[in-house]
Amino acid sequence: MKGSARKTVQIIIFLGVLLLGGYAISKTLFVSKEDFVRPGDKPPAFTLATTDGRTVSLADYEGRPVVVNFWGSFCPPCVREMPEFQRQYDKWKSEGLEILAINLSEDDLTVKNFVDGKNLTYPILRDVNEETEKRYRLRSYPTTFFIKPDGTLEEVYEGGMTEADIEERVLKLIKES
Amino acid sequence: MFQNTKCKCGHQNPTGTVLCEACGRTLGEEFSDAASELLEMRYDGAARRSQKSNPSIIDRVWNFFSSVKVAVYLIIITLVGASLGTIYPQESSFITTQNLANYYRDTYGTSGEIYYALGLSHTFESWWFVLLLVMIGTSLVICSLDRVLPLYRALNRQQILKHESFLLRQRASYSGTVEGDLTEWIDRFQVQAKKRHYKVIRKDNAFLAEKNRFSRWGPYINHIGLILFLLAVLGRAVPAWEMDEYVTIPEGDTVRVEGTNYFLKNEKFTVEYYEDDELPKELRGTIRAKLYRTDAVMYECSANCSSSETAKLQEVERHPIEVNSPLEYKGLKVYQFDFDNTPVLREVKPIIEDKATGKTYGPFTLAMRNPETSYEVGPYKLELRQNFMEFGIGEDGQPITKSRDPKAPAFIFMLSGPGLAEGGEPYIYFPMQKDKVAFSQDDLNAGLADRFEIRVQGMENVNFVEYTTFLNIRKDLAMPFVWVGLGISMLGLVMGAYWHHRRIWLRVDGNRITIGAHTNKNWYGMRADLAAALKAAGNEVDPKSLDNGGNRT
Repeated sequence: MKGSARKTVQIIIFLGVLLLGGYAISKTLFVSKEDFVRPGDKPPAFTLATTDGRTVSLADYEGRPVVVNFWGSFCPPCVREMPEFQRQYDKWKSEGLEILAINLSEDDLTVKNFVDGKNLTYPILRDVNEETEKRYRLRSYPTTFFIKPDGTLEEVYEGGMTEADIEERVLKLIKES
Repeated sequence: MFQNTKCKCGHQNPTGTVLCEACGRTLGEEFSDAASELLEMRYDGAARRSQKSNPSIIDRVWNFFSSVKVAVYLIIITLVGASLGTIYPQESSFITTQNLANYYRDTYGTSGEIYYALGLSHTFESWWFVLLLVMIGTSLVICSLDRVLPLYRALNRQQILKHESFLLRQRASYSGTVEGDLTEWIDRFQVQAKKRHYKVIRKDNAFLAEKNRFSRWGPYINHIGLILFLLAVLGRAVPAWEMDEYVTIPEGDTVRVEGTNYFLKNEKFTVEYYEDDELPKELRGTIRAKLYRTDAVMYECSANCSSSETAKLQEVERHPIEVNSPLEYKGLKVYQFDFDNTPVLREVKPIIEDKATGKTYGPFTLAMRNPETSYEVGPYKLELRQNFMEFGIGEDGQPITKSRDPKAPAFIFMLSGPGLAEGGEPYIYFPMQKDKVAFSQDDLNAGLADRFEIRVQGMENVNFVEYTTFLNIRKDLAMPFVWVGLGISMLGLVMGAYWHHRRIWLRVDGNRITIGAHTNKNWYGMRADLAAALKAAGNEVDPKSLDNGGNRT
């Protein structure tokens, strides 16, 4: 084989190695394990019905700070933190804050009985067959996702939150807008 | 470094050549013809492709990967790395990845914590392990290419007449004088060699007998197989090529397989156990499973796939899934993984009894999930006010539900009709007998319990899910390539291991013949071949006397 042909073969092989090897290695570095929803990612889209008969999509709130809270009436810390979220909602609504409280696929009557008389003004969304929570890879209840106005996730908080916990994070989101 | 590669016979060899391509003399040694050490016959003395007098950066990188020494170190490092990954279970062996850090710490103590912190809990997906594999792959390609092409060329254009020093410095050699006609002697030698399946090329009175040259390609074919294997393993990283999901399906339910447009229905789950008389004595009285089976149906969704209620489904496959008999569809395999036989109540059909008259009304259908909120039963009207999936009493003394699964369902109705107060009276109903007792339904209903009762008559009015099945959905399109790669690799191993490349060279000077013989393994057999040919030709020798030393086999 002539020298130039040999060089071409060398370069082709090295390019192949760089391409395939680079792909394999970068996959180990950049792909998050278990496609868990991580800060910096765009959280999964959803379109769900609210208790007052509207249909709401996450995409509707692009450009605004959004808090997505998963709750169930069977989960005492979820129930405890709901008034705290309500106070924060009242305080920061004028700054564009939206809180979407997604119920954990409970039935109509349970949700209705729970919400009645609680004076919650933020939308209560109804998940069906645990589909949305599965897409969000929920591991425990309650879990709250703080989403920046640009649509990417700022933080995932697992467990019940106090008003101070919420405010600290909401202020960060508002600063971004 | 300058190296004179022109041989005394006049042939100009490439840089790095050990034995002259033309006559077989050793290069680089002055007057080496007299030297008596054995020849280095590796790659037939040909230069590796990458051996150059003036290497560029690319050549240097190439040379690094072309080194067998480097390859051996890479393999050793990879083996050590891989063994580290076997100390504790890998993350990928868990279905969930919840709080793995705590899991490793709590289960294995400090060493587990360190193990997790170092990332050894995902050794085989770590960047350094993949990098090692990529380097081994590169080394395989470059090592092989660098050696197989020169070796092929060297073997393909072998010179028949070799220099005496080349023959005498082979591990098996012979030198002697011939009585009688020389041509006839060579004829006899040739006949015997042919009997032993050698191919013989004769040129004047020089002679080359050769057999099983193909066994020299065995290692390279083995490497091609290994490269294909590595590429296939790499291919598994492509999401469309590999999948490993789990679904939980109660009997009668249809569930979507995450990340696909497929839905799976569990029509019926069956578990059978061995009867005592089917078991050996020592196992009698123990529970031994005979059969786990999920009668499964796979559907493909064409529209509205986000929810199983609205999805447009079309059946594509139906199969009773048993252990080792998965449902298969377009590369997807659905395996039986586990089951749960906690009964889950789905619906009941209770009746209302007026205890004063003994008359019963109904039944009406009460679903556990999403029940209707109002029922007309005979002259009575029931308004469902509250329902609980798992009834309990909260910290503040109020009734609460402890989960969202119907483990201990309870319903509060407003009952109205003849004999009841205007506007109705509240009645709490526990469909499960154990809850009715545990929470004292009759006490809670106080006065109303003496006059009315809501109850279920007979098991035919209870609809519950007895079994929930757990299925594992797998896809691994890379597998056929893995098998083909392994097959090619095995073919190469067999070729290289069970056949030996043997060559015998012969030259005549006057009435003296000089013979050299070479093989890549099994010198015993090589010498036997040579001795047999010599004997047939007329010069009987002891095979052992052909041994030129330095010989281990």
